[in-house]
Amino acid sequence: MSDMAELKLKIKAPPPTPIEGEVLTPDNLAGRSVNEILNLETWRGNRRVKLSELFTAEGESASNPSDLHIILEGDLRKVRHIGARMSAGKITINGPVGTFVGFEMSGGTIVVNGDADAFLGMGMSGGVIEVNGNAGDAVGSGYWGTRCGMRGGLIVVKGNVGAELGCWMKDGTIRVGGNADVFAGVRMQGGTIFVAGDAGAKLGAAMTNGKIVVLGNVPNILPSFHIDEIRPNTKVDGDKIQGPFYVFYGDITEGGNGKLFISVGKNPHLKYREAYIL
Amino acid sequence: MRNMEYLLKNGYVVDPANKIDCERKDIAVKDGKIVESVDESRAKVIDVKDMLVMPGGVDLHSHIAGSKVNVGRLFRPEDHYKDYEVRSGVRRSGVGHSVPSIFTTGYRYAILGYTTVFEPATPPLKTLHTHDELNDIPILDKACFPLFGNNWFVMEYIRDGKLEECAAYIAWLMRSIKGYAIKVVDPGGVETWKWGGTVQDFDQEVPRFGITPREIVRGLVKVNKLLGLPHPIHVHANQLGMPGNYKTTLRTMDAVKDLATGDRPILHLTHVQFNAYGGVDYLSISSHADDIADYVNKNPHVTMDIGQVIFGDTTTMTADGPFEYKLFNLLRGKWANADVEVETGAGVVPITYSRSNYVHAVMWCIGLELALLIKDPWRVFITTDHPNGGPFTEYPRVFSWLMSKKARERVLKRLPRLARARTNLKDIDREYTFYELAISTRAATAKILGLSNKGHLGVGADADIAVFNINPKEVNPSVDYKLVRQAFSRAYLTMKDGEIVVKDGEIVAAPVGRTYWVNTKAPKDVEDVVISEVKKLFEEYYTVRFENYYIPESYLACSAPIQPLEPAG
Amino acid sequence: MKVINAVVCPCCGNLCDDNEVQVEDNKIVKVRTECAISSSKFLNYYKERNTKPLVRVDGQLKPTTLEDAIERVARMLVEAEYPLLYGWSLTSCEAQKKGVELAEEVGGVIDNTTTVCHGPSILGVQDLGDPTCTLGEVRARADLIIYWGCNPSSAHVRHMKRYSSLSKGRFRLPEQRKVVVVDVRKTPTARNANVFVQVKPNQDYELMTALKMLLQNEEIEEQEVAGVPIEQIEELAELMRGCEFGVLFYGLGLTMSEGREKNIDAALTLVRELNKWTKFAIMPMRGHYNVTGANQVLTWQTGYPYAVDFSRGYPRFEPGDTTAVDVLSRGYNDATLVVASDPVANFPKDAVKHLCSEPLAVIDPHISLTAFMADVVIPSAFIGIEEEGTAYRMDGVPLILKKVVEPPEGILSDVQILDLILKRVRELKRGR
Repeated sequence: MSDMAELKLKIKAPPPTPIEGEVLTPDNLAGRSVNEILNLETWRGNRRVKLSELFTAEGESASNPSDLHIILEGDLRKVRHIGARMSAGKITINGPVGTFVGFEMSGGTIVVNGDADAFLGMGMSGGVIEVNGNAGDAVGSGYWGTRCGMRGGLIVVKGNVGAELGCWMKDGTIRVGGNADVFAGVRMQGGTIFVAGDAGAKLGAAMTNGKIVVLGNVPNILPSFHIDEIRPNTKVDGDKIQGPFYVFYGDITEGGNGKLFISVGKNPHLKYREAYIL
Repeated sequence: MRNMEYLLKNGYVVDPANKIDCERKDIAVKDGKIVESVDESRAKVIDVKDMLVMPGGVDLHSHIAGSKVNVGRLFRPEDHYKDYEVRSGVRRSGVGHSVPSIFTTGYRYAILGYTTVFEPATPPLKTLHTHDELNDIPILDKACFPLFGNNWFVMEYIRDGKLEECAAYIAWLMRSIKGYAIKVVDPGGVETWKWGGTVQDFDQEVPRFGITPREIVRGLVKVNKLLGLPHPIHVHANQLGMPGNYKTTLRTMDAVKDLATGDRPILHLTHVQFNAYGGVDYLSISSHADDIADYVNKNPHVTMDIGQVIFGDTTTMTADGPFEYKLFNLLRGKWANADVEVETGAGVVPITYSRSNYVHAVMWCIGLELALLIKDPWRVFITTDHPNGGPFTEYPRVFSWLMSKKARERVLKRLPRLARARTNLKDIDREYTFYELAISTRAATAKILGLSNKGHLGVGADADIAVFNINPKEVNPSVDYKLVRQAFSRAYLTMKDGEIVVKDGEIVAAPVGRTYWVNTKAPKDVEDVVISEVKKLFEEYYTVRFENYYIPESYLACSAPIQPLEPAG
Repeated sequence: MKVINAVVCPCCGNLCDDNEVQVEDNKIVKVRTECAISSSKFLNYYKERNTKPLVRVDGQLKPTTLEDAIERVARMLVEAEYPLLYGWSLTSCEAQKKGVELAEEVGGVIDNTTTVCHGPSILGVQDLGDPTCTLGEVRARADLIIYWGCNPSSAHVRHMKRYSSLSKGRFRLPEQRKVVVVDVRKTPTARNANVFVQVKPNQDYELMTALKMLLQNEEIEEQEVAGVPIEQIEELAELMRGCEFGVLFYGLGLTMSEGREKNIDAALTLVRELNKWTKFAIMPMRGHYNVTGANQVLTWQTGYPYAVDFSRGYPRFEPGDTTAVDVLSRGYNDATLVVASDPVANFPKDAVKHLCSEPLAVIDPHISLTAFMADVVIPSAFIGIEEEGTAYRMDGVPLILKKVVEPPEGILSDVQILDLILKRVRELKRGR
């Protein structure tokens, strides 16, 4: 990665109204000079503004997206859709960032050194998103009505995530270093979710396939999951994760073949379920 | 704008109602009408040299407005978010794709060169909603067909042999809610569905009503004659979508054969592709379009529209609630159902038609077979039952398939071999001419709707004109079907009531269109009795007041009432 | 003295249209209605109303001319980069259409009260669909009525008598119906039900899951779910499976408790499932009398039912980002126009804080809490009393609301006010 061209864009001030960050991808910026890039327009609210009005630039561009590393700096909480439909290259965001980071991305890497907002990686089909901070609701979900969330790629959030992690997720992997709020893995159709911390209620609700691993505490397991067995350990994308784990399968109301791996040690209140192991 | 005079010069006019077939002819327009001539020094002269000039398209069956259409829009944000239109000039913003927003609907039809589009199914109780939406459709002239085939009053009047009373009821209802024609969907079946059942047979009794679908259809044909409505009853037959249903379709057509008098058709069957299946299950589904076409060719009392399937994502929506439930069970995706008290129902289910799917492939063949095997283009009309078969924006693709065997073969060869084997399409050589296309999409549809000022370019017609950038004398549609598709996708010029609304595929004006409705009447003494009977039962049956059921004419943005034809007897 | 029949009441989603109003000297003197809320509205609507356009001067709201007020609102909207146009549920469809036109013209976000009420219902429907019917179907056929997370005895007063359990239908008498109430506490509605199921707060989803399990004859590895013993859940499942026509009415107990749209997902799935055995429908108890209309109008004109963002010149829908509370909480908007609603009274603190820190204009007949905080206030007429208009009932049935008295001199309708604003906005934009 060291021979990637680095283009640093520092936001001049937190904007009063939302900025459309779709234009900020290696796909859109590669093949243009820094001056040309600063002359590109985007939306601030309902106004068209030049990037030069919003950012100061430092560094260089590249002719191929895969050789371009865009570094964004500052308070980007009102910048939405950064990395949308990205297919190659890298974006590093140093600061808190707004909604829809990596929307429908298919390749490349996004690193957020700060907190991300809701809808991180919505509709993602490939590539990597790494958040060294927290993320909001509906990480790895899909656009409304599609009944299809993340379809591929990898999302790693070092901190906590909000509710509905991986909603309707079809494939790919999500790793959470901290806690996940309610409804993690809701409507999951495939792929893998790993939560190192605690998960909220209604884990895996209505899932039909996929695998969820939780190392921390889970307040309850829905009645639509039956306990299968206790396993000493499991794997997430080839990495061995030490258990032991209660293994639940479900969601039975959806005829599901999904699996929940819940830490035995952190969930003594689930011990009563052991009686139902055949 | 409508007061301008225009002269469209040097175009090749196709006007089948006036027997004009690709003749070089000038069209003169004044005060919104086609006239004999205009003063060339005063008029705006538009040179449409070597281009195809047709009357504006008349679509008699397209789900564009009303409660179930809005359900489709509401529960499919994913249908819209990648197909959007930015606001520009006179054109308001909006979205597509299979359930477009209301302004976009009008614009996209006008860009295709259509100027009149009818909403074919509205539940009377919610027809205020239908008009609310129709009012918002720019440019197009429109109307709506109220649903009667599962209406409590209608079923009971017919069961009791009280046809004059039934006619009076429908007359009162039609003019009260500003409807245009009698629509029948799955007669008796939707009422049965309201208890969770379905009608399995054309002669099966509807529970608690003691009447059969056959009797409902026959009764309504007779009522239609009594009322002198300009359009025949418009029927979506029972067992839609079911393997083997072609038999029901034949029986439906035959059930009213004896009621035909004169040369006016008395039954319009709609989106017949969905009702032309053989086989006993979806594995064995096959085409019986040939049997249906055979019957139509021999029996002039029937007209039909095809309901062509387009491969891709779309949304099915119909008053046939039980059918949509069955479809939901096959697809196990989203499903909406909306039964309407006393009257009818609705269902909405998204679908993606796929070339590699055997059943879809058979369906695709059937629609085209119907259009090609029925010999008289004045009795078979091109539709996709938008959006059930596919979005209306794909009409040009259907035109190219009908006009070019080569275009069909390109699709056929990618279909499952078994689908090709169980259908007739591969053996059909016929190709539509521009003349036949104009009949099927304009002249004939205007005629069957009883719109004497539409669908033709004779003197006195509304100046609804479509010009396409294709030279019918030089282009061979059989070979250059891609040019056909391109030309019909973007009209060079669309004129509505003598005002230019589309120029080179762009919207330049968005006037308000008319809403047609029929000011139906029945003999006063019968009407008085019926209305008092209905009033008594109204509070028991409905959850709204009788007084609030009526839609004032002022509610329509541009009301255009039509008098019924001379009622029979 | 004039007696006007079949008057539609502009209060709640029941949209009862059988009220009788007596008018004398342009004043409503008597109302014949079966609902205290309705009667109160018709008789007291004019009390404590605002009759003058107001503008904030030196921290105080002072009277001004209509022209001045319109000018300020138009300028506010044109100058804003991301204006929010919120409210809409307590006005007519005709006014809502003007709202859409205005939002598109100024490139702002238009959202209605769905956003804090039944937004989750719509989100659930967008994933699952909606097996429903009109209220007359319920009255004609239903033998099982379930009220889940709602309290019609207080909030939709005539619902049971007019449409459901206490109504007389063609195929069903009141005594042939059973009522089940599922709620976290014994509400007035629950006290009159045949069956009351007390569910633990925020565990409706679990309870619905258990019902689905039992309907599918699957074993539950618990003694109780959501605080409800399994035997009681079994009884409820059998009631649901064994009825001839069942309907599930639900309210904020489901939409605003933990899970929100996922609760509705569960309810919709449950009802879909029940259609395997019997006829079953579901319906949200819409609160405001024309919130359904706001959804309908917005949907057919833009493709989306609420939270529509026009800032890029075309409609975009991203609930959770373009929804009013989120727009306000994230501090996106730099101006707000509130029409026929009172967000200051019911939005979260952060949202209200931002709302009041940016230019704010209100069109409302009353000095609501929001109007109290506004920079410009324009008084308007009451729909269904002083102004005609279309509204949609909770089941999608449209009705025309009547005008029974004239509004006071100088008070315009929402449609007229919005028209004036649109006109001025267009003039300002042309000049820009």
